[in-house]
Amino acid sequence: MAQGDSRVAPISTGARNILFVAPAMVLFGVFVLLPLATSLYYAFTKWSGYAEPEWVGFSNFTRAFADPVHLAAYMHVSLYIIGTLFLEVSFGLVMAVVLNSDRFGFSIMRGMFFSPMVLSMTAAGVLWAFVLDYRLGLLNSVLRSFGLDDWAQPWLSQSETALIAIMFVSGWRFAGFYMIIFFAALRRIPRNIYEAATLDGAGPVKQFFTITLPLLRHQMLTCVLLAITGGFAGFDLFFTMTNGGPFNATEVPATWIIRQGFDNNELGYATALTVILAVVVLIVSLIYLRVVERSDVVRY
Amino acid sequence: MKHSLRLLAGCGLAILAGTAALAQTELRITHAMSSGAGSEAFNAIVANFEAANPGLTVNQIVFDDDIYSDTGLITQLQSNEVPDIYFQWAGYPVGRDVEAGYAYDLSAAMADGWQATFIDSAFSSGAGTAVDGKVYMVPLSLDVTNTIWYNTAIFEEYGLTVPATWDDFIAAIKVLAEAGETPIIEGNNELWPLGNWASHVAARVVDPLRYDAAFRQEISFADAGFLPALELMQQLHEIGAFNVDMQGLGADPAMAGFFQEAAVMHPIGSWLVGSEGDLAEDGFAYSQFDTPVIDPNHPAPDSVIGTITGFVMHAQTTHPDEATAFLKFLTSAESQVIWAEAGAISPVKGVGDVANLNVQMKGIGDMLANAKTMIPPPDTTYPVPVAEAYYQAAAYAASGEKSAADALVWLDETVTAMGKQ
Repeated sequence: MAQGDSRVAPISTGARNILFVAPAMVLFGVFVLLPLATSLYYAFTKWSGYAEPEWVGFSNFTRAFADPVHLAAYMHVSLYIIGTLFLEVSFGLVMAVVLNSDRFGFSIMRGMFFSPMVLSMTAAGVLWAFVLDYRLGLLNSVLRSFGLDDWAQPWLSQSETALIAIMFVSGWRFAGFYMIIFFAALRRIPRNIYEAATLDGAGPVKQFFTITLPLLRHQMLTCVLLAITGGFAGFDLFFTMTNGGPFNATEVPATWIIRQGFDNNELGYATALTVILAVVVLIVSLIYLRVVERSDVVRY
Repeated sequence: MKHSLRLLAGCGLAILAGTAALAQTELRITHAMSSGAGSEAFNAIVANFEAANPGLTVNQIVFDDDIYSDTGLITQLQSNEVPDIYFQWAGYPVGRDVEAGYAYDLSAAMADGWQATFIDSAFSSGAGTAVDGKVYMVPLSLDVTNTIWYNTAIFEEYGLTVPATWDDFIAAIKVLAEAGETPIIEGNNELWPLGNWASHVAARVVDPLRYDAAFRQEISFADAGFLPALELMQQLHEIGAFNVDMQGLGADPAMAGFFQEAAVMHPIGSWLVGSEGDLAEDGFAYSQFDTPVIDPNHPAPDSVIGTITGFVMHAQTTHPDEATAFLKFLTSAESQVIWAEAGAISPVKGVGDVANLNVQMKGIGDMLANAKTMIPPPDTTYPVPVAEAYYQAAAYAASGEKSAADALVWLDETVTAMGKQ
């Protein structure tokens, strides 16, 4: 390239350069591609984990689409995601706006609200399983101490309340996380926009819907995507609080996969369910990203 | 120089030989006896074995019961460092291990008189300790997997006696429920506690051949005649028999609840006795009765549900002789007395006569001795997914989540969807 030529040199090609990327490609192949390929293989087998896998074609997949619990698991996880969008993302946004102040005590409140994130999901699940325990749990003890014996319920033992209880705990755990994301974004919105709006007569509610919300749009979309993909992968809370019960009412794809793989020793079927879950999450994510990209297009 | 080298080599060999002589052979044994009197007894037997065999040490790899059966065992069986001996349930799991090549054929070791020390039924065709006539499991305990434990003081308080028939049983439950008691506590979040009992109930009302055919997926559960069995579960729900948190409660907390008088009865296996010392207050009075006769015209109206548990030697063990020596020591009369006095029913002949048995274990032993038929639990006899599906259907009916008829429809749909197991 001649001196002063501003063109960027083309990326060199050739067998010699493959040597430089070979280590990364080998690691990627061994730790990503190979497990993916073997998973795909096992999804087409009947395999207990004990004996040798037996090729069964698509029967694991046809079984999955006729398995009522598996299908119900997707309904449960959808409800859970809707619940998390409300209890985590929406509530996190509200708290970020409410606690967006430099006045004394607000930073402590933000810290307290964020603190459940420090706990592991498993610890949070076990903790709340104790709180919601029918016999000795804190919630029912408080209700009984106020004479509200009839209000004391086996929260995690009845299908009407178990999923709601898990949503609530998930909200308690994650709302602070989303609050921090929104809070960081709120701090970047120039104050003079709000001052101008105030001079124009806009109240706090109108300012929220016309200034805050539109300017937090990108963070909102990120949070929704996190909530959706995280919801599909949800396992820890479900496993520690109800393990899919009662009556499969809190069965989500991850718990059903674990149950099939390790309780029932059907690793082939469990792998097929995992492949289906991966495809579903991929499709949902692609659709979501496509919608988001389209909404970002500026039309002239 | 050559002489010096020889001397050095000689010293090296001597050191190596000395080290080898001092080295201990380690036997790796994995099991699920994590607490209670049974664990203490097993530790005592291991200590006795190590004292009698100075060159051998036993490394116990212990898991919680559920973790052991879900992931703990299979992970070890497939590892590079397999356990020499592992705990297993007789029946389907042993057959599966044999097929997969994990189980060591103990027939030759048994042939030298060892097998004759056990009760005959321990190696009968239905015992599940042998496959194709070859012995693969050393029986350690006869477990009654479900009997109905009851608080004798509360029974006396309400003037109740041990029910002889299902109708008597229902009448007793009604008395207790109307008095504000919780008649039965069950911790069914893992499904097997109620499932075991519900399958015993089914085995009392369904034709034995059809019962077997349904669990083998040869006919539907509806065609086999399981509706009456599920209706009995529904009946229990309708008269308020169960604790309201049954489906969210674990098996161990339910057992603790029984010992803390949270309920009057608790259907669970004979292993409850081993937890009495940890969970019951001094003076807690209890006893047990088998599920009352439901249909006197059934071929097995007074069957007992139970199984054998024991140890299997891994086919890839590098210490087969030492492992055999341990298993023989474990099942010797002396060790079995320790084992039985901790609350187990020994499969070794004569132990019941010599051991100072807990009164509850005597009762269980009598029940086993008097039973004409022993029904194995489905989850150790048939494919686990099928057994689990029946357990789930029973839970539906017993908690009022579905009617018996709807639970049966769900069961057949689920079993059909899973294909032949």
